[in-house]
Amino acid sequence: MQLTAIGTVAVTLMLLGAFLFIRTTLADLGNGMLQQIEISVYVDPNATPHEIAALRASFRADPRIASVAFIPKSEGLKELRDRTRGVIDTSLLTENPLPDKFRVRVHDPALVPAVAADLRRLTGVGNVVYGQQVVQRLLRLGEVLRRVGMALIALFLVVAGIIISNTTRIAVYARRREIGIMQLVGATNMYIRMPFICEGLVVGMLGSAAAVVLLVAARETLWPRMLEALPFVQFNVASVDVPSLILQLFLVGGIIGASAAWFAVGRHLQT
Amino acid sequence: MISLRGVSLLYPNGVRALDQVSLEIAKGEFVFLVGHSGTGKSSLLRLLYREAPPTTGEITVDGIRVDRLPARRVPALRRHLGVVFQDFKLLPDKTVWENVAFAMQVTGAPTKEIMRQVPRALDLVGLSHRSRMYPDELSGGEQQRTAIARALVNNPKILLCDEPTGNLDPANTTEIVDLLLRINLKGTTVVVATHNQAVVDRMRRRVVRLENGKIATDKERGYYYLGLGQGQVLSG
Repeated sequence: MQLTAIGTVAVTLMLLGAFLFIRTTLADLGNGMLQQIEISVYVDPNATPHEIAALRASFRADPRIASVAFIPKSEGLKELRDRTRGVIDTSLLTENPLPDKFRVRVHDPALVPAVAADLRRLTGVGNVVYGQQVVQRLLRLGEVLRRVGMALIALFLVVAGIIISNTTRIAVYARRREIGIMQLVGATNMYIRMPFICEGLVVGMLGSAAAVVLLVAARETLWPRMLEALPFVQFNVASVDVPSLILQLFLVGGIIGASAAWFAVGRHLQT
Repeated sequence: MISLRGVSLLYPNGVRALDQVSLEIAKGEFVFLVGHSGTGKSSLLRLLYREAPPTTGEITVDGIRVDRLPARRVPALRRHLGVVFQDFKLLPDKTVWENVAFAMQVTGAPTKEIMRQVPRALDLVGLSHRSRMYPDELSGGEQQRTAIARALVNNPKILLCDEPTGNLDPANTTEIVDLLLRINLKGTTVVVATHNQAVVDRMRRRVVRLENGKIATDKERGYYYLGLGQGQVLSG
């Protein structure tokens, strides 16, 4: 009976741990992308040097803009080659299709749409692009995952709690004679509860331990595979605070175990 | 020491266990509660150790208003009472010593105190030589004596006994009652609910008779049946 309880807690916490891990990574990724979001201001191929200089002045004058870099088309092509190496064969290009561009970075990522819209209106600007859709889609995906994940986790936590509660109730029932005598002799409810709560705590934490072990094993095996599969996504593995995550899992496991046991004993003591 | 005023107890199933009972028991008294089964003797004792609250009335035990006691204060009350039952209520997987010590452990008594008091209690009931045995290795009388030792180990002022000799043969019965008497002589107030006529008539102590949840008679140096002489039955 105890193994079932421990097992359920382990599965629940594994899901929780995996979920938290992924969420943190995704959030970090999203933020990282947002931070780095650059507005590519493509220069109109027909723009005059005078107009280009005027553009530069406008950028300097705009307080929202943090930095500006001019990328001539030759450099742009080189960057493209580097980024898509192995995926696209750029040697097939006979002429450089890219225009010159300004790479503009803003202080506050939230202002990107507004700034982009303003820049679009300037003379000499051909097109203004920023990775809007990608980032927004990513964030929306993250949000959906978060909601679904939370719902699932909540469900599993409830199930784990119920199982631990039932295990405790059986244990309490088995010892009801002894508990009755304890009450007659003047033991406080807390004194009677304590051993059961400790048992619940231990079960919860054993489940956490199992979950942690499984999660670490999964990370060691699956993570490198994932990085191989998605080379162009800049995951920052170091962003996840593993010790803190482990601590959180133990905390959750312990709390579920202890509180489920608390309620189970409490119901018996109501008599 | 113990005072009941206008106490009634109505069980959820409609049975009126006690009906406007008023009773005063002074410190150091020895009182028998008698009556047929189901007349309310056990119920009255249960009210005293707050197994259930009374439906109406006031109950005072050693200055504490038991009827008004919140649930969280009940353990403290019970530590000042000793209660003995017909079925002994010993923990089967603990030795005599451990059973008696248990009553001190749950109150958080320090080990030194436990080592001091438990032998005293066992000595009082004459079970020092049996302290390592388990309940199922003891006779009925010895088990009850263990229960009494446990009831006394915290030096309570009041000892409540609910049919303490119900499961015992006549020899053991006499032994136990004599023990209760000795305990009473040391100053403990003792209340014994019983339907053992022989014991009551032999002792000639205060006898409170319950009938249908009411106090029928209350006599010092009484008999099981109202003092019309031994063996005669009250009509009605």
